[in-house]
Amino acid sequence: MWWLRGSRTARRSAVALLAAAALALTGCGGDAGSGGGDDRTLTVWIMEGTNPDAEPFFSELSAAFTERTGATLDVQFVQWASAHDRFITAIAGGTTPDVAEVGTTWVAEFADAGALVDLEPRVQEAGLADGLVDGLVEAGTIGDGLYGMPWYAGVRSIVYRTDVFAELGLQPPTTWDELVAVGQRIKQARPDLLPLPIAGDNEFIVYPFLWGAGGEVATRNGDTWVSGVDSPQAREGIQFYADLALVHGFSTPAAATWRETDVRDAFTKGQAAMIFSGSWTPKAILEAAPDLEGKIGAFPIPGRDGGLAPSVLGGSLLSIFETSDDQDLAWQLVEMMSTGEFAAKWAQESSYFPGTTALLAEAAQSSDPLVAPFARQMAESGRSVPVTPAFGQIQGKKTIAAMMRSILTGEATVEEATATAAAEMNQIFASGA
Amino acid sequence: MTLAERTETGRGAAPPAARQRPRRRGAVTRPWLLLAPALLVMGGLLLYPLLRVLVLSLQDFGLRELVSGRTNRVGLDNYVELLTSPELWTTVLPNTVVFAAVAVALTVVFGTLVALLLARLSPVVRGVVTTAIMVAWAMPAVTGTYVWVFAFTPGDGVVVQALDALGLVDAATANPFAGRLSFYGVAALNVVHHGFPFVALTVLAGLLTIPRELTEAAIVDGASAWRRFWSVTFPMLRPVFAVVTVLSTIWDFKVFTQIYLMPGGDGVNRNVLTLGTWSYVESFAQNRFGLGAAIAVLLTALLLVVTVVYLRLLFREDEL
Repeated sequence: MWWLRGSRTARRSAVALLAAAALALTGCGGDAGSGGGDDRTLTVWIMEGTNPDAEPFFSELSAAFTERTGATLDVQFVQWASAHDRFITAIAGGTTPDVAEVGTTWVAEFADAGALVDLEPRVQEAGLADGLVDGLVEAGTIGDGLYGMPWYAGVRSIVYRTDVFAELGLQPPTTWDELVAVGQRIKQARPDLLPLPIAGDNEFIVYPFLWGAGGEVATRNGDTWVSGVDSPQAREGIQFYADLALVHGFSTPAAATWRETDVRDAFTKGQAAMIFSGSWTPKAILEAAPDLEGKIGAFPIPGRDGGLAPSVLGGSLLSIFETSDDQDLAWQLVEMMSTGEFAAKWAQESSYFPGTTALLAEAAQSSDPLVAPFARQMAESGRSVPVTPAFGQIQGKKTIAAMMRSILTGEATVEEATATAAAEMNQIFASGA
Repeated sequence: MTLAERTETGRGAAPPAARQRPRRRGAVTRPWLLLAPALLVMGGLLLYPLLRVLVLSLQDFGLRELVSGRTNRVGLDNYVELLTSPELWTTVLPNTVVFAAVAVALTVVFGTLVALLLARLSPVVRGVVTTAIMVAWAMPAVTGTYVWVFAFTPGDGVVVQALDALGLVDAATANPFAGRLSFYGVAALNVVHHGFPFVALTVLAGLLTIPRELTEAAIVDGASAWRRFWSVTFPMLRPVFAVVTVLSTIWDFKVFTQIYLMPGGDGVNRNVLTLGTWSYVESFAQNRFGLGAAIAVLLTALLLVVTVVYLRLLFREDEL
């Protein structure tokens, strides 16, 4: 059956299989963290797909860790898409891992619930406090505590087909008007390509435009937060972003239900000329579509009238769960993974930026055309989404994605959809505090 | 066999077993003793979680309570919020009920048709067809859902392409997952595909117990195929239909995987939430386990009502 060959099915089946396998694993290995002496084992959850081929890294890490401490590692891979639910179910069932990679927007939520260990004293003791990347520290800080050790960070920019740009004599756009002009030129000259698909289910590209037009996702007002997505500026940015699909036709109606990975699939299949993409994806794209080698480049998401649009600084921290029996041992692992040799190696293999300033400075020197634009976006305009447990809840409810989907399918205007989303956010802010 | 006996003993006489048996000590306790292991297992696996959900639905239970173990009773607040939510009445409840009704009707009708077909086949062919049907049944819901989603993928999905070739839709612009109706159309195909084998095989088992003479007599009397089904087969298989309908209803009411895994089904598309997915999104994405539990209780209550109504319709009271 030729049509079963599509990469998406393969990946989805793999997702399903992995999820099932991972569930089975936790089911059996729930109490692996206990025990003492030489058979000490640390259970570690790592997000799947950050590093396209993470197995060698972790076997090397396991070997080094066993050599240093005598304990063994049980590394389990978790899909980003299902990870939040798995953390919650694990917290509910008392089967949390000892150490886990936790996404920046979740740390506040889990820490607020009392599930994570405050690493501040250990970080101070190890003399690491001054060398950590600000955006990640901000994401991990609740009150006076630091509930995750910065591990790696990434940012989203635009990946494009250099061969198409060369063929049409185009230059990477530096303003929003230029972005539209470039898209129109591609649409007219290469009707076989989507100039710039707009995914409905990807909130992280909404923010650069919302911020770029002068809006705010939410603002702090004393103890509570207030949604900013229905402000005139935010609406203007969202309208521009939606119009890329609705007015200019750079996208496809199918994309209204796409996720970020679906956009990447379209690009690897050679169906798109530009995509919004994370700094970590070019490597995966080339791996999936070797024929694009030498034909792709990247440029930062431009600001409205020049400069750069703020882009979400995302990434992961390494957290230790309160249920861990041996938190000192867990900290040894966290320190080993987030500093020095292994941190640099991970960043290099995963094409993310490391979480320590020393290593980041090194990476930013890169002349690689698939690294430098992202590094610039991260350094000049990386920005964090609101750090509050309530925002994790808003993300869980997919408020912004639901808003974007309804705009892209034409079910609601920008005014209506943003009003609905703002009301929902404010309700969560009000009840969450 | 039991069915035939049951209809033959008729409605008049009381079953002989109950007539007279001296009541000895232990006659009361013995059945309970024998039932005890089963009751214990049921109590542990079924009753306890059920009660736990009921208790949970009366609390404001979030991640913090989960970790600390504290409880925070709020009485009926969750139910008040749930029942006054416009989302429930305009989207979630209609989605759940209409989808279940359509899916159950399609599953039972299609399953019965397949059973009638199977009953006519020679044993060898029947074996082949049954095996083919079993494959659909054996397929895990996750896998099945991804296959259907893949077939309906906008743009290059095989079904979308086929409909485009027939001139029914435009593959470049059609997105089956965007609209409420088309979304549930795909979901219904998936659910019916997964559910009809059970109905077909159960009804087939029933069909094979119907004495040949009855059908032959009806044929001699000149009854049409429809008439034979409605006046002979259906009344004799009423208990079988009751079972498959009730079970299908329960399954289709609480359908989760098939909706949740479709694009937009995880809460991004608010128009397609069902009680099952809504409860999950509230509980696990929102960490509002109390409200999620209240939704689950509502779903259970709804199912109980539907089941009782069904059983009343399908059996006269003296048969229950």
